[in-house]
Amino acid sequence: MVGSGFGIIYRRLLIAVPTILVVSVLIFVVLRLLPADPLAMSMPPNATQQEMAEMRHEMGLDRTIPAQYAIWLGRIVRGDFGRSIQFRSSVSDLILTALPTTLELVVTGLALGIFLGLGCGLLMFSWRGTLKEQVADVGSIVVMSIPEFLWAILLILGFGVAFRLLPFIGRMDAQITVPRATGFLLVDTLLSGDISAFGSALEHLALPALSLALAITPLIMRVLRSSLFDTYVDEYITLARLRGLSERHILLFHALKNAALPTVSLIGVQAGFMFGGTLLVEVIFTLPGIGNLMVQALHNQDLPLIQGIALVYCVIVLVINTVVEVAYLGLNPRLART
Amino acid sequence: MIGPGATLRRCLGEPRVQAGGALMIVLLLVAVFAPILAPHDPGDQDLLRTLAPPVWTFGGDWSYPLGTDSLGRDVLSRLIFGARVAMRVALFAALGAAALGSALALIAGYYGGWADWIIGRAVDVWMSFPPVILSLILMVGFGAGLNNVIVAIIIVDWTRFCRVVRSEVMTVTKRDYIPAARLAGFTHMQVILKEIVPAVTPLLLTLVSIEMGIAVVVEAILSFVGLSVEPDVAAWGVMIADARQSMYEAPWSLVAPVFAIFVSVLAANLLGDGLRRSVDPRLAQRLVVVR
Repeated sequence: MVGSGFGIIYRRLLIAVPTILVVSVLIFVVLRLLPADPLAMSMPPNATQQEMAEMRHEMGLDRTIPAQYAIWLGRIVRGDFGRSIQFRSSVSDLILTALPTTLELVVTGLALGIFLGLGCGLLMFSWRGTLKEQVADVGSIVVMSIPEFLWAILLILGFGVAFRLLPFIGRMDAQITVPRATGFLLVDTLLSGDISAFGSALEHLALPALSLALAITPLIMRVLRSSLFDTYVDEYITLARLRGLSERHILLFHALKNAALPTVSLIGVQAGFMFGGTLLVEVIFTLPGIGNLMVQALHNQDLPLIQGIALVYCVIVLVINTVVEVAYLGLNPRLART
Repeated sequence: MIGPGATLRRCLGEPRVQAGGALMIVLLLVAVFAPILAPHDPGDQDLLRTLAPPVWTFGGDWSYPLGTDSLGRDVLSRLIFGARVAMRVALFAALGAAALGSALALIAGYYGGWADWIIGRAVDVWMSFPPVILSLILMVGFGAGLNNVIVAIIIVDWTRFCRVVRSEVMTVTKRDYIPAARLAGFTHMQVILKEIVPAVTPLLLTLVSIEMGIAVVVEAILSFVGLSVEPDVAAWGVMIADARQSMYEAPWSLVAPVFAIFVSVLAANLLGDGLRRSVDPRLAQRLVVVR
């Protein structure tokens, strides 16, 4: 039923379109509950009644809510997300400027989290039945009880304030400038050949990425361990032992690949949660990503910007889900044939 | 056969349940008796003693055991009153999300068909959206206030219950005793209430205790960005946001609320993990097989 990688992407697209539509309706309706008047905020205080009426008409606020929604949707389909009320510039430009920061954070955080999670999971499984495992088990619950934004604060207090080892404000040292090519600082600094700038960007990314990673590490570790337990009940493990393979070889080359499936689907299920976690991490580390932009927009009730960013979050979660599903298929080709 | 009494005893004997339960009870007691326990009013400002250090460091004294914040408010008292916000949100948001999520899960899992399809699609839509973002948007729409926070968390987090409970309900519905109960003349409602609800209750309890921790975190996030309770209410997230401005001078007033959130989530996770271990027969089996 699942089909090939392209089949998944095609099927995902079929699901994604109605999902995004429903999400956009939900956001639109919730934001129309606002007591605030977006018109008053976008006009100078000395505007005349005439100007107010013209602006009201221009913004479509004199129509019914379904009509307003239809206009908004029609513009989005043409790539026009409208203009931000507070920044007085195009929403899509604002989002495109901020998005690389967020994606850079998510990708590094996720990669680090998966790496740590797999490592700790394997280590914990190899300790099975010992006191170390019990300690690691309780330890993982302790680590799991600290959400990413608290990690962010603890890491700042530890590495930034107490020991002053790592920077925790912004994306790079203020005196360094790098020409913007992709918006991804790690890439841009390398493209410009400026190694010290790359180092600075990497240093600034370390604590935010670690905050995100530590929030997912214990989850991955626990799911991996539990699915390794399930895998080790299977016959082929016994067979591998009979063939004289070492325990380490069995764990890394036979069991891990099969046990990885639930871990991969966990990452898919958790994608939304993890991605939402970037918002506060960005705020705490003052990174100019879409999370920070969103918080500013929420405080200023900047409706066009809120709606635009919300849709972007939704699209990115759907993309992550698709990638996870393709990875799942890659790990388990049997699914493609059934 | 294992009766409900034996399961309960096994739960209460599990060290994680004991530790998590004890922590949770302490937090609830602190919340209930906050006005008696707190040495000061959480809003009182002593402007002559702003950013006072805690009692164990140089210059600290017992009038402000954990020191004061940048407005001269007692950190300990704010922490204690913050437990009221956290525990109310934990209890009511978790129970509300559990009620909504499992009601829909029962309908979807038991009746199947188009009801299952609609509820399943709704869950998909919700899951394709970061919960933090959705709750922030809801709070902008609803406005500040504790009840609004609780409603927002229920609207966001019912899916966590619905997804898991639905598949459990489907498994239970396929068992032999369900058609047997129908043949014995039970109505659908009776089957759901007398057979299916008891069967999914252990799972539900685990989920509720974990959700209590999640609710505390979500409230802290919302109050950190200033979109939760009214500005004059002491909440842990507000304390973190305030203390962040002066973390070089007074790191303790930042550590205190972080620790309080951590303890609440730890209590919820320990309780949830312990309950899962003592009611999940698969886990008991696995321990026998592997060790």
